[in-house]
Amino acid sequence: MKVEASETDDGRKIYSVRGFNNGVARWLGKLPTLWIEGEVTELRRQERWQSVFFTLKDPDGGATLAVQMPRGQFDALELGLEEGEVVHVFGRAELYEQRGELRLKALTIERFGLGAHLAALERLKKKLAAEGLFAAGRKRPLPRYPRLIGLVTGNDAAAKRDVLTHIVQRFPPANVVVAETYVQGTRAPAAIATAIGDLCRRGADVIVLARGGGSFEDLLPFSDERVVRAVARCAVPVVSAVGHEQDVPLCDLAADVRASTPTAAARLVVPDIVELRGRLLRSREGLHRGARRAAERHAERLATLHERLQRAPLLALERRRARLDTAHARLIALSPSATLERGYAIVRRGDAVVRAPSDVAPGDALEVRVAEGSFGARVE
Amino acid sequence: MTPTFEEAQAELEQIVARLERGDVGVDELTTLWERGEELYRLCAAKLQGVQGKIEELSRSAQAADESG
Repeated sequence: MKVEASETDDGRKIYSVRGFNNGVARWLGKLPTLWIEGEVTELRRQERWQSVFFTLKDPDGGATLAVQMPRGQFDALELGLEEGEVVHVFGRAELYEQRGELRLKALTIERFGLGAHLAALERLKKKLAAEGLFAAGRKRPLPRYPRLIGLVTGNDAAAKRDVLTHIVQRFPPANVVVAETYVQGTRAPAAIATAIGDLCRRGADVIVLARGGGSFEDLLPFSDERVVRAVARCAVPVVSAVGHEQDVPLCDLAADVRASTPTAAARLVVPDIVELRGRLLRSREGLHRGARRAAERHAERLATLHERLQRAPLLALERRRARLDTAHARLIALSPSATLERGYAIVRRGDAVVRAPSDVAPGDALEVRVAEGSFGARVE
Repeated sequence: MTPTFEEAQAELEQIVARLERGDVGVDELTTLWERGEELYRLCAAKLQGVQGKIEELSRSAQAADESG
């Protein structure tokens, strides 16, 4: 496009404002694209605007620069920038031709020090791991029926409501003591560490750290060395429910159990009362059944014993009688009448039984006893 | 002092075993048998008491459930 210019009679070349601006704009367009570091101020973003605007400022309070970025691109970065944050902007100089204003057209924005943060975090993680703070052997089981649950959370956090609601739903008699604290920003780490210690002293037997999702920076306090050490040092088990499933702040590694969400944390710290009641009822049924069965076994054993007792004296008597009968039979067998029955005879001379021929002389009177009776006889 | 259920049952078992072995004098037989019967009645009464108690507790527990 040609720059609009007219020429006066004396040869002066005159540009319109538009023409001038356009010329400068084109000239500026030849400058290279580069990275610029500065603090974000006066961030202006509205749904109906095509672009997002902010001013980039040197931290020492010096120079400023207007920045513009298409809103779609800006939103896609999901930076959640706040006033005063230091960023790196990749862009090039541009002239807002309508007003002849110089500004920077941003192509991308990066939070300054994200890489540095990550590296520091990685170093801290290595150091604490080397100390054994994340060791599996340190993990303690959660109490089955907590007496007092300590909840560390932000003062208006949805996370707090989530955890409380689910705890009470699952286990209405639960006792919860809430420590409201800063959960993001520079004051958060010390506040969280203190809250953990306080809850321990107040008698909590399990502690839940709850914070909803947030940006990497939002969750940084939960990776702070003070918080991680407070979690590791805590006298009672700690459940960490910080951020979403994909976030792993260092306090998650030091905690005894990690919950993916505040809701999951509630499930971990209290038993389900419905299930509990069912189990209790089943136990009682078992108790009744067991008691009945034990009593029945005793009764059966006693009945058997009684039967045996009733039979035993008769058996004993019969055995006695049998012995008596045997004795009697032998007695009978020994009596002479049995011998006489078989045809033997007893011969007497006077009172003496005759046992040899020499016991008698011819003419002696004898008495002969046979089975049926006696008769007299004389020796020839 | 009345013996416990277990003591009474143990003595009863001994008596039955002796009677069954038959090493009991005829004169002693009646005495032992009577003692055995006495022990049996004692055990049976205790057992019935316990069974009654179990049923009663179970019924009252059920009643408490239904009313609660």
